[in-house]
Amino acid sequence: MPEVKLIPEKWVDRYGDYLFNFTISRVNDSIMAQDLVSETFLAGLKSAHRFKGQSTERTWLISILKRKIIDHYRKSNSKKGQAEVRMSYLDNGDQNGDWMEEQVRDLRNPNVEDEIEQKELGIALNDCIAGLPERYATIFVQKTIDKLDTETICKEHDITASNLWVIIHRARVQLMDCLNSKWFKKA
Amino acid sequence: MGRFFISCDEASILSTRDQYNDLSPKEKFRQKLHHGHCLGCRSFDKKSRLFSRTMNSLGWIKLSKSQKKAIKQKLQEAMKK
Repeated sequence: MPEVKLIPEKWVDRYGDYLFNFTISRVNDSIMAQDLVSETFLAGLKSAHRFKGQSTERTWLISILKRKIIDHYRKSNSKKGQAEVRMSYLDNGDQNGDWMEEQVRDLRNPNVEDEIEQKELGIALNDCIAGLPERYATIFVQKTIDKLDTETICKEHDITASNLWVIIHRARVQLMDCLNSKWFKKA
Repeated sequence: MGRFFISCDEASILSTRDQYNDLSPKEKFRQKLHHGHCLGCRSFDKKSRLFSRTMNSLGWIKLSKSQKKAIKQKLQEAMKK
């Protein structure tokens, strides 16, 4: 594999949307997701000297982002733990209702279930896209998610239309297999 | 007159292109003709459609222009240091 060089000037345009989508499916907060993506790029820049060029830029940035997301959850959990106010439902004499019914979300509600399922599916798909070769992933995302036209993508990557369709076809086959093992077999 | 019968490799690429509405009427006809006698390609086409439906059902969220600009600005400032 040829040695990969980092081009931080192009990070936002190349990987911004993908990393943002990857983050938002895990943290569920647009502002937090933007902060985490931005922190990832800054951390990448800071540790650029440690990049050995043995993986692609995207894989390297995703590994940094994953660590940032874990840190985010660690921090928020510890804050939550410190600020937690312990209340006893039974101490309040005015409330005689069934606390289980009032406190727990109704997971049988199809909307809630669907939402959770969609979120998990999004995470599984993002993981599958992350496992594709970089060129396949970029072209697949540009065509399928960004909905760019064939000509624009061909020009950007200097490939013919038939090359593009072969790449998209292979990417889709890999993603279908990956989703099948990660998601549909579980269901 | 062009070739009407195509191989399975060609048919599967046509199936993929069909998911992006990229087929000409002639190519659609060739694809249908192939699917008429090839169970494997018909099954692949079904899977491919299911995959497209799954992809389309997910809400893909992108960074807005202003968000990208803000991140780029931070990155450029850090690069100057």
